[in-house]
Amino acid sequence: MSQANQALQTPTLPDMQKRAAPVVSRRGGRMWLHLPALVFMIALTQIPFLLAVWFSLHSWNLLVPSEGFPFVGLANYGTALFGDPNFWPIMGNTLELVAGSIILALIAGTVLALLLNRRIWGRSVLRGIATVPFLVTPSVMALIWKNLFLSPSAGIVNWLLGFIGIPAVAWFSSFPLQSIIFIVAWEWTPFVMLVILAGLQSVPGEVLEAAKVDGANALTTFTRVVFPLLRKPYEIAILFGTIFIFQTFGEIYVTTSGGPGLSTNTLPYYTYRTALSSFQIGQAATLGVLGVIVAILAARGMVNLMTERVAAERG
Amino acid sequence: MGMQATHRWSNIGWTVLTYILVFLLVFPVLWMIVTGFKTEIAAIAIPPTLFFQPTLDQFALAFSGGFSAYLFNSVVASLVSTAVAMVLGIPAAYAMVFQMRNKSSNDMLFFVLSTRFMPFAAILVPLYVIITRLNLLDNLFVLIAVYTAMNLPLIIWMARSYFLDLPMEVLEGAWLDGCSTLQTIVRIVVPMAAPGLAAAALLAIIFAWNDFFFAVTLTYTNSPTLPIMVAAFTSNEGLFLAKVSALATLIILVPVALGIYAQKHLVQGLTGGALK
Repeated sequence: MSQANQALQTPTLPDMQKRAAPVVSRRGGRMWLHLPALVFMIALTQIPFLLAVWFSLHSWNLLVPSEGFPFVGLANYGTALFGDPNFWPIMGNTLELVAGSIILALIAGTVLALLLNRRIWGRSVLRGIATVPFLVTPSVMALIWKNLFLSPSAGIVNWLLGFIGIPAVAWFSSFPLQSIIFIVAWEWTPFVMLVILAGLQSVPGEVLEAAKVDGANALTTFTRVVFPLLRKPYEIAILFGTIFIFQTFGEIYVTTSGGPGLSTNTLPYYTYRTALSSFQIGQAATLGVLGVIVAILAARGMVNLMTERVAAERG
Repeated sequence: MGMQATHRWSNIGWTVLTYILVFLLVFPVLWMIVTGFKTEIAAIAIPPTLFFQPTLDQFALAFSGGFSAYLFNSVVASLVSTAVAMVLGIPAAYAMVFQMRNKSSNDMLFFVLSTRFMPFAAILVPLYVIITRLNLLDNLFVLIAVYTAMNLPLIIWMARSYFLDLPMEVLEGAWLDGCSTLQTIVRIVVPMAAPGLAAAALLAIIFAWNDFFFAVTLTYTNSPTLPIMVAAFTSNEGLFLAKVSALATLIILVPVALGIYAQKHLVQGLTGGALK
């Protein structure tokens, strides 16, 4: 194994020439192939973002055109962070949604990945079926969850709970955020499962054999041997899950519309409401910019993980 | 002997548990499909009816409520945006893998990622203002442009991760033979990376098809997509459970079929090859 690696790392002279010459001539020359994509992304995401920053420095309410577009500096940020009594509870909801959903999905996804990593009959079909909650249209399934399963009158969940003597629960009134967390976790469980399964495939069989020979039981093998080897898959599942669950929108829109009160408003949902219900463009832009700051920090962590691979391969 | 028997029984136990958990995980989708074949009265019955005379009435009703117009918008928006994203994204990925120096390639990757990770809500506010000013609200072309921007990063990072795996010798051969960059991409790179690129396209179609955020904020009556048709049922909840189930079944067929087909590429696609 290590000999083979060494052979790859020290190519013979003719080999090196053959590899090096065309690569050098192709690198660093005139490059325009990435420009169309770059221009498109700048036009549709970066310029709007810069406009959002510009808007956020102004007071602008589309419903009160007489007030115009006065420059207010960082006043909107002050209002968001310190003046608006809704802001911090909404940040709390956002954190609870993201953390709650990702933790539930991590637990359920790990259990499924471990079970589906065994050699059982119909394994690939089972894996395919288990992927379905991740593929279904989220807004559509959330509506189905609300009316077919969690409805106080016609819901199957309450009917089942009735067998163990639990009276009917009005899920979306009594536990609105928790109900949404549950639905989002259901959607993201297959994603975690797929990432962990991919990670498990890279756990060498010899390591597991050695653990077995040493008399470790299944639980010890997982916590002491397998789990440490899955560090990177878990990092990826957490980062991607966090970034995408942060954007949860349709599930909230069709089930609670952010209510009751503010209890299921998250930062993106509140941004949308401030823009398209109260038409406070300046204030909504401010909330959007704050959301971007949160997301960029997460993306920074992600790109470090992704470039590790290139560095390792290219040397 | 005794230990082997115990081992075999515990094996069967884990297998049975696996089947039960997978069944529970997809039960909501299965039950929704079943409910689509019920009458409205049977659909709200508690205890739930398991044996019933199946009817296609709800599917007929679902088709009648302007379904084809929503379907047209969904199909056009997801297919055209994916096609444009492929045309823009594949050359970009080629430049990142075969032309750029490592540092600029990584900078470009960071830019691409931050584009996709930017919360949609942040760009919605300026986009909404621009689109309103240009009188382009409720226009299918706007939806296509937005979905292209949404899917371009996905196409680029998936294509990039497949291009990294291509054997350098073949490409160098093409360059030595004097193939132009365009010829190299069309005749060599795309055919060799075809399975991965196809998976990227399927994922992009799924994302556009499943989008609710832009569809609900940027369309009204001219260009709404299928998820909007379903969301219209929120006002009269519970009344048309069977019809909503039938409609939902029709809508999820596309992403479920495409997703299962592209299953092997899902993880690499979503994580940009950070995990293989």
